[in-house]
Amino acid sequence: MKVYERLAEAFKAEGTKHIFGMMGDGNMYWMHALAKLGVTKFEVRHEGAGLGMADGFARVTRTPGVATATCGPGVSQLATALLTASRARSPLVAFVGEHPMGDDEYNQQLKVEIFAAACETGFVRVKTPDSVDDMVRKAFYRARVESRPIMLSAPMDVQQKPFDDDEPYVPSTQVLTRGLIMPNPAALDKAVEIISNSKKPVIIVGRGAKWANAGDAVKKLAERTGAVIATTLMAKTWLNEDEFHVGVSGTYGTRTSMKLFEESDCVIAVGASLNQFTTEHGYLYPNAKFVHLDTQTHVIMGNGRGADCYVQTDARTGVEALESALAKRNFKATGYRTGEVRERLANAWEDRTQFDLDPGTVDPRLVITALDDVIPDTISLNTGSGATAGFSNILFRKQRPNVLAGHFYGCIGQMLPAAMGAIVATGNKPLVLVDGDASVMMHLAEFETAVRYNQPLLVVVMNNEMLGAEYYKLDVHKMDAEQSCITTPDLGAVAVAFGGRGKLARSVEDVRKAAAEWVAKPGPMMIDVRISRSVIPLPYRRIHYGKDE
Amino acid sequence: MIEVNERIDVPAPPDEVWKILSNPRDVVDCVPGATLGEAHEDGTLDAAVVVKFGPAKVTFKAVVGMELDEATKTGQVSSKGKDNQGGTRFNAKMNFGVVDQPPGSAIDIKATVEITGRLASLVEGGAKLVVKYMTNEFSKRLAERVSAETAK
Repeated sequence: MKVYERLAEAFKAEGTKHIFGMMGDGNMYWMHALAKLGVTKFEVRHEGAGLGMADGFARVTRTPGVATATCGPGVSQLATALLTASRARSPLVAFVGEHPMGDDEYNQQLKVEIFAAACETGFVRVKTPDSVDDMVRKAFYRARVESRPIMLSAPMDVQQKPFDDDEPYVPSTQVLTRGLIMPNPAALDKAVEIISNSKKPVIIVGRGAKWANAGDAVKKLAERTGAVIATTLMAKTWLNEDEFHVGVSGTYGTRTSMKLFEESDCVIAVGASLNQFTTEHGYLYPNAKFVHLDTQTHVIMGNGRGADCYVQTDARTGVEALESALAKRNFKATGYRTGEVRERLANAWEDRTQFDLDPGTVDPRLVITALDDVIPDTISLNTGSGATAGFSNILFRKQRPNVLAGHFYGCIGQMLPAAMGAIVATGNKPLVLVDGDASVMMHLAEFETAVRYNQPLLVVVMNNEMLGAEYYKLDVHKMDAEQSCITTPDLGAVAVAFGGRGKLARSVEDVRKAAAEWVAKPGPMMIDVRISRSVIPLPYRRIHYGKDE
Repeated sequence: MIEVNERIDVPAPPDEVWKILSNPRDVVDCVPGATLGEAHEDGTLDAAVVVKFGPAKVTFKAVVGMELDEATKTGQVSSKGKDNQGGTRFNAKMNFGVVDQPPGSAIDIKATVEITGRLASLVEGGAKLVVKYMTNEFSKRLAERVSAETAK
């Protein structure tokens, strides 16, 4: 057999069932071999979107997503997607062809190592036929352990060399054995000490707590300590069946939650980095001591300091240990869990500011609440980044199988591929993406990919025909905000032209009707909702316009 | 750097206005969110001011100094401070002058406020407006205080 066939076998043995990317002569032999081995491929229109799909896939499964691109221009197309995946901490293996070794004049040559490093991506190269197994295993091992994208580069001439070994490939999972990280008893004692002396604890949970299935343990701890539960943006809506769930901690939170946080004397963070967004550089919790549970060796929080007590531990194990230690001491507190707080939380999400709407447009806040209402809680949600995330990230409140915001690397455009990958990861379950117009337009061609694979994907475009973030920032500086405006065509009609379904919506009723149609019969569909520019997203009102709400 | 340029109209003659402005305690009292602390031998004052920048509520501890020129009825207030967490610092200088504007007076205020550290990124947008709001509040309270004093 040839090296490329062994490469394909190795990928399959690593558990690869789907690959996302674009074929070029640098990877086509490998793709061909994988197809023969029964691996499903998703052919995209831009390699970056392929990697974005692998990223979205990995965010759901937490197992390595696999993307592919050909040498040179195929690889350089991966830049933004790689950085996004790195910031999302997604385990990925990107198989890329490389120009033939010894031909530095090759037209499509690229300094791949430097490129990968600049994109925060690990790099592994298959230099000889003998090294094939080791290199594939290394790439997957590193993806699993480092939880970030790893580029596996195979020069085209090496791929064509003979491979002579019938020993079965040993996958990285066999080499990688690890158990749960157990908490240090002294650190636990210190944490228990701090918590049992607190009167108003806040538990903040992040993705790490979700990945570790620490939900039940967290709710039990909250009850025992009288804590309210808040989430990072990334874990939005998780555990909100708890009566004292206050929503997101940070600028996407409610005014009520911020007032509650101000009173807090203890923050227990679980599987969250407590970065500058979650704590507003620490200013959200001016009076609190911090207890921080995470699997990393240590974490410096967004206020530039380490926690008063840092415990390196698996989330669930750590929280359970805390709860049972407090139970042993007969510690039980009311804390925040009172009728008064319950009342305060009852209307915490109201956005009472009135705006005059531009003619023929909808209030974006009403679009979100209508969608949350019409779309049942069995359907997952991805929200995009950009200005309109200021509506979706606050106002979507139903708990769903997956709710994921897309703020990694602070870029637009990446959420459509991520949503498509997430659908593959769930075995083709329906999913709604709510994103801005500039973001959707960036990889619009991939909607055709979604149609080709008949994905049950609803894309709701919050369309104000502008680069929203720049519009409001220009406005605040009393500069010409019109310069950030860019028209779009009727994206509902574009979706239909691509072979899917689509609607243009100019009223809340239009939105409800179109969304209900999709729910009744999920398939690739786009709703182009024309929203008013006059409604400033709440986070911008707070940060840029100096307002309280 | 945030710049402030305001003129406040007050319904009182310049001498009355100057009496209030030349008292640091009265001036700091008019700053929204500010509380006074101890006076030092060199004439400076400790002060604390709570400012809300969007969702971030910051308590600054500052030292306030004042230089006055009775003859021209002008003065300079300088204050430097940092927050409890040491994450954000500010450096403010305010120059003011009282001018005759029959039947009352006008106070010209020119100030610069520099904010550095963790909230520096907010300075680009919202912080400017927060300072503007604080200046407007300050003007209002000052005018009210002057009116109240002269009514006595």
